Amino acid sequence: MDKLQTVNVLRYDPAKDEEPYLETFKVPANDTTSVQDALAYIKDHLDKSLSYRWSCRMAICGSCGVMVNNVPKLACKTFLRDYPEGLTLEPLANFAIEKDLVVDKTPFLERLEAIKPYIIGNDRKPEEGPNLQTPAQMAKYKQFAGCINCGLCYAACPQFGLNPEFIGPAALTLARRYNLDSRDHGKAERMKLINGKDGAWGCTFVGYCSEVCPKHVDPAAAVNQSKVESSKDFLIAMLRPQEA
Amino acid sequence: MMNYAPKRSDEPIWWGLFGAGGTWFAILTPVTVLLMGILLPLHGLGFIDLSYDKLVNFVSSPVGAVFTVLTLALPMWHAMHRVHHGLHDLQVHIGAVGKYACYVIAAVVTLLAVIWVAMLA
Repeated sequence: MDKLQTVNVLRYDPAKDEEPYLETFKVPANDTTSVQDALAYIKDHLDKSLSYRWSCRMAICGSCGVMVNNVPKLACKTFLRDYPEGLTLEPLANFAIEKDLVVDKTPFLERLEAIKPYIIGNDRKPEEGPNLQTPAQMAKYKQFAGCINCGLCYAACPQFGLNPEFIGPAALTLARRYNLDSRDHGKAERMKLINGKDGAWGCTFVGYCSEVCPKHVDPAAAVNQSKVESSKDFLIAMLRPQEA
Repeated sequence: MMNYAPKRSDEPIWWGLFGAGGTWFAILTPVTVLLMGILLPLHGLGFIDLSYDKLVNFVSSPVGAVFTVLTLALPMWHAMHRVHHGLHDLQVHIGAVGKYACYVIAAVVTLLAVIWVAMLA
């Protein structure tokens, strides 16, 4: 049975508004109503000017990240039944607002691109058949390959909030994922960014990124493994000063 | 725009000392405190001789000297690294001054530990 539930949404239209403000909507909800359903209801029935991102409705596209009561969540994977007192939706923290719940993800995409999240330096030809890996080789990186680039970890990361130059959890995790892949030979290129003060060393192991990750990728583990890797790289560079 | 060619960070040195200090403080320091701080004053270790002479002998030996210096110094490096990053978290941005102030304190404690142990030898 549907009952009306309070949904506060942060609204901001840069063409009209001086600053963001909260608007309250009453949305009919039952046990199956997701935050995304609520947003769709608002747009369809209450205010068509509402802007928000969504696509797959099944926690795989990574588009619908929002702050729900100040916690980064996927709107499609969060349900109104868990917020009987009502809920407040805001755009992802640590990003600039474009309009309403839509943020400018450019800094995130720029970082993702910079760490080269693809296999590098493998000249294997299609004729040679599939590049098989042992289960052990795959187990090394498989967990880190589950990232859907939703950016919740960036909204959770206090270090990214304090230092916008920090490469951040997801990009560092993707770097780690490819560095661990037996088919890849691009580690040296990626280590240059990881070794910097805004690379793995921008992290102080708060661990909130891993808590909010909707795919249980555990970025905090990946970043801290990268610190060990960067320390080894540091020692090797000291022994070979010409490459430091 | 992000920096695509960053300078290598010197953080591995400080993070290494931080990790070593944390490990030492978590695993060895509690045992040391139990032995020296609790059981020794309570005479609870009848089977091990922890008399003053024995302890001075231990601290003066090469292994004992290294153990004592590390017991005093490593947790200090750990703590100072935390303070340095904690200042940043509290948005006290004093840059390299804060960083080197923290590590100089840890270095002074290390030096004092070496001097104290050397004075016993």
